[in-house]
Formats: sequence, C-alpha cells, structure tokens
Amino acid sequence: MSASPPAPVREPAWSLSRAAIGLWVTQAVLGTVVYAVIVAAAIVFVPADAGWAVPLLRWLGPAFVLVYAVVAIGIRPRLRYRVHRWEVTAEAVYTLTGWLTRTWTLVPISRIQTVDVNRGVFQQLFGLATVAVLTASSQGTVRVPHLEVDLARRVAEDLARRAELVHDEAT
Amino acid sequence: MTGAPEAPGRRTSPWVLLLHTVTFRQARALVPAVLALGVTRGLGNGLGTVVALVVGITVLSLLGAAISWWRFSYTDGDSAVVVTRGLLSRSARTVPNDRIRGVEVEAPVLHRLLGLVRVRIDAAAGSVTSEEELVIDGVTRAEGDRLRHRLLTHAASAQDLAEGGRHAAAEPEEELLRFDYRWLVYAPLVGSYLAVPLAAGGALLRAAEELPEQFRPEFWSPDVSDTRIVVRLVVGALLLLILGSILGSALVNWRFRLLRRGGALVAVRGLVTRRHTELDIDRIRGCTISEGLGMRLVGAARVSALVTGLGDATRRGQVLPLGPVELARALSAELVDHPGPLHRHPPAARRRSIARGTTPGLLVAAAGGVLVAMTGWWPMLAAGGVLVLLGVPLGLARYNALGHVAGPRSFAMRSGWLVRSHTVLQDRAVVGWQVRQSLTQRRAGLVTVLACVGAGSGGYTVRDMAAAEAPEFAQAASGAWAATLTPYG
Repeated sequence: MSASPPAPVREPAWSLSRAAIGLWVTQAVLGTVVYAVIVAAAIVFVPADAGWAVPLLRWLGPAFVLVYAVVAIGIRPRLRYRVHRWEVTAEAVYTLTGWLTRTWTLVPISRIQTVDVNRGVFQQLFGLATVAVLTASSQGTVRVPHLEVDLARRVAEDLARRAELVHDEAT
Repeated sequence: MTGAPEAPGRRTSPWVLLLHTVTFRQARALVPAVLALGVTRGLGNGLGTVVALVVGITVLSLLGAAISWWRFSYTDGDSAVVVTRGLLSRSARTVPNDRIRGVEVEAPVLHRLLGLVRVRIDAAAGSVTSEEELVIDGVTRAEGDRLRHRLLTHAASAQDLAEGGRHAAAEPEEELLRFDYRWLVYAPLVGSYLAVPLAAGGALLRAAEELPEQFRPEFWSPDVSDTRIVVRLVVGALLLLILGSILGSALVNWRFRLLRRGGALVAVRGLVTRRHTELDIDRIRGCTISEGLGMRLVGAARVSALVTGLGDATRRGQVLPLGPVELARALSAELVDHPGPLHRHPPAARRRSIARGTTPGLLVAAAGGVLVAMTGWWPMLAAGGVLVLLGVPLGLARYNALGHVAGPRSFAMRSGWLVRSHTVLQDRAVVGWQVRQSLTQRRAGLVTVLACVGAGSGGYTVRDMAAAEAPEFAQAASGAWAATLTPYG
C-alpha cells in the first residue's frame, strides 16, 4: 500500500463513521455464514463419488469459504475504511469509494436534482445512513455511505438547500 | 398546479378500433395460450375449430380495443399534457410542457391507409424508469401535426420567454441532409441491418413451428453430402442476407431528410412506417459518430445526437442513419463545436490494451497446458496459442481507437474496435465526473474517466488516460468546479 504511486486526483478530506467497520464486518459474517451453509449442504447432499470434479470441489468449497472469511471479515472492512472518504466543498460533492478498484466521484452542487437519505436494516442497527445525490445522468449518482444519521440528515438538508439556490439548467 | 380535473379530454379517432382489431393489439397476448389450449384439446378436427378460434379472437380483440378506446382521452393544456386511461384503475399521467424533450409522429402502414398517425411524446428521462413516454395512438394526421407543433412551441417558449416564441414566427426550413440511395450499398456491412433479414427468417421459422402439424409446409430437405449443393446454399443465403439488409435499410431510411425548422431539428424517414421526429436544438448536448468494423472498411458512419432527457438515444436521436464518414463528421461539427484533433493515450495504455486482449487466450492456453500434462489432449493448447496471437492485433486496434481532447467549449473521446464511437460533448453537458483506477491501472499510472451526462447513455468514458492528465482534462472539459479534483501541491 505504502509503495503505491500518488493518487491521480485529490483525496476527499473526511472519513466515514467508524461504525461503518462494524457494519461491514457484520455483513461479511452473514455472507460467510450463507456461503458456509451452501457448501455444507453441497458436501452433505452430493455423494462423494458422484462424478468427475466432485472430490476436487469438496476441497475447494471449504477453502473458498475460509479465504472469503479472512478477506471479507479480516481485511476488507479496514481497508475500505482507510480508502473511503467524502467531502462537501463550496461547489461540489466529492467521494472516494472502493477497496481494490477506487472510484472518485464529483458532482457539482448546481447539477444536483434530488438528495435522498437511505437507511438499510443493518445501517439502522449501527445508527448509520447513506446520502444519495442524484443528477440528470443515470450514471452520475454520488452515494456517501455510512454516515451517522444526524450528520447524514444535516448534509442532505444543506445540499438540497444549496442546490435550490444555485440551480441552473441541471441537465 | 396542473389541475384541470376531468377536463373534457380529446379522443383518438374511432378508426383506431379497426386498426387494433386487425392487428390483434389487445388479444395478441392470448394467441399463444389459445393455440396451446387448442393443441392439447386436439385441433385435429378440421377447419371449423380454426374458424371459430379466429372469430373468437377477433371479437375479443374488438372488445379490448373498444374498451381501451372508450377509456382513453388526452388533453393538451397550457401547462401540461394529461393522458387518462384504464378501465378499472384509472390512470392519469401528467407531463408538464417544459419537460417535453421531443415529439415523434409515426405512421405505420395501416395507420397510413386510414390517414392516422401515432404520436409519441418524450418526457424528461432523468430517472431510471423507462416509462417516460406518452403514446397517443390513432389521431388524424392534422391533429398529430397540431399536437407536435403546439407541444414543442410550448416547450421552447416556457424555456426561454425572453426570445419571444421563436417557433411562433414563420418557420423557415433548411435542409441539412438528404439520404442518397447510393448509401444503401453500405447496409450489408452494418450489423443492425444485417440482423433484419436474420430476424425475419427466425420469425418465419418460429411461426412455422407453432403451426399445427397438418398445416405445416413440407420443407425441402437438401442433400447435404453433396458439396456443390452446400456451396450453392451458402452463396444463396449470403446473397439473400445482403439483399435483405439493403431492403431493410431502404425500408427504414426511405427518403430520409434532416431539416432545421425554427429551433428544432426534424428527421423524416421510412417507406412503410413514416416517422417524423423532432428534437429541440437547444437541448442537444453532443453527438456520437459510430463506425462499425465493416463500416470502417468502406468509410461509412452513422451519427446520433445526444439530447438531454431523451432516452433511447440511438434510435430517436439518429440524425444520420448511414452515410459516408466525411459527411458524418461535417454534420456532427454542425451540431456541436469540434474541440480539435484527439490526443493519443500513453504507451502504458497500449501495454494494458494488449494484456487485456491476450488474457482470454492465455487462460485457455493455461487450461490447455494442464490438459496436455494430464491427458495429452493438445487442441485446447493450440487454440489458446492462436487466441493469444489474435489478441495482440486486437489489443493494438483497441488502443489505436483510444483518444480524447478538451477544447474551449466542448470535449471529445473515442474508443471501441467492433463499433468505434467518437463522442463530442459540450462542456455544459457534464453533470459529474467519475475517476476509476483499478490495481493494475494504479501500477501503470492510468485512470478511466467517466463524464456523467444527462443525455444519451448517461455516461461517456475515456479509458486508460494518463493519471496525471485526468484533473486537468476534467477541468478543461467542464468548468471551474472540477478543480476540486486537482491534487494539492
């Protein structure tokens, strides 16, 4: 990580709520459980001498679950937390997301059409919310995931108010 | 705001009943079910059943058409168009006039016989839903023209009152383009036109499959063991394909004309179904010149305009369906300022492109290697090798297509090998930027930049540009707000 070349564009200034790590770990644990159940079911119900690749798959399945667990629970949440950033500047909303492939998204406040605050089931458990900023482009949506609820509400209100003030053509 | 509850809406022409009955518009969904029923019950006992079925379906169809005609009405008010329909659950859709992006008047063949047209009204897309279109099916030609004129005049005057209704002034027409029939020879090299005869053949075969056994025509089954017959068959099929694509292209593009009338761009075309599409010039944000692999061989291209809020840009926004590439360039330059010659991408992009081109071959070769080691079966390894060799020129060709440039008021990007598309966009079109960098791109110092646009496909990518150039490009191609991307120091 430290040896990587400098980022091509500026890093947004603020990081997400630390509770996001807990949320990602929870999601990863659930994912691991689902995969483990599927693999276990396959091992129990598919007879070992069923065909050509079955003995191999009986080993690969658990190995996959193990690797997934280590990466998704142990590594990915922390890496994500280090990478993910966001910022609202005077003119734009700016985010950085991803853990292997990184995506920087910039949307000017003058082009914002709607601002949503979404709360998923797990987000509610952790007191988090996602701010989604929509534009006229189907691909130009900025999502600031996992902010504390109060902060998310304030950000959304602020953005909506400012978007109304500087709204030009918006398309 | 757009009140007018239960205003006496206008009706479509009653002739539309006849139209929809003939085309089984409402009952079409029933036909396969009825056929299936017939087959299970045994359709065998002759013509009587078939006649009964046909009559039954026709009556059902007439009934359906009558009900939907009876419950359908539309109102074009001063501020909005309202379409009301539905038997049990009434639905009224209201589209504010300033949201109307384009109006298309089309006249399919049966409509033309009765002097009717179908009006499609495009409302601002924005959201992801595809239901942004109003269809008023079956009004007279005069009413269609009246609607088109009125709606677009409204749309424009609501947008800029200052200019004082340019549309209302006498409409000078200027012909920008007229389809030349010599361009039809390009058709066999265009994928979508080639698909026309194939689709027709497929539909015919499927229809034949669905027929009950006794009505099925007996297919001539050729003797495949004789090479001469096979060769003749193949040549014949190819000729049919070429002829079919030319015919298909001629049907769709017959007497294509592109006009500028007031503040609108009007495209008229079609032999059987006559289409009349009108686009607001103020809303054109850019255009795409696309050249398929075959089209590049003969120097042909097509141009579509990217209009804000208009979904389905490839069909509706098409301003040159098929023509010589010089003309395509000239037309696109007329629609949008061209930013100048494209900049090439760095050598790292070429390496990455070749790597991407050869990856599938390498994977196949690796699997083949394992197979050779285990069983001695070599063809897969050989196929992998061939794929790798083919991947190199493919990667180079893909790299050669890459390019981008930012000019004073617009910017452009080009990519693609199978279909090379060169998109020019105005600076004001950009509603956001997305910069993506994968692990391999990070090591190679490349990024992929996506310009988010509220027109066309919603986003246009510049793949594998030098990472250092990205912030500068974004700022030059949109505005000062994109300076947020520039790294400190």
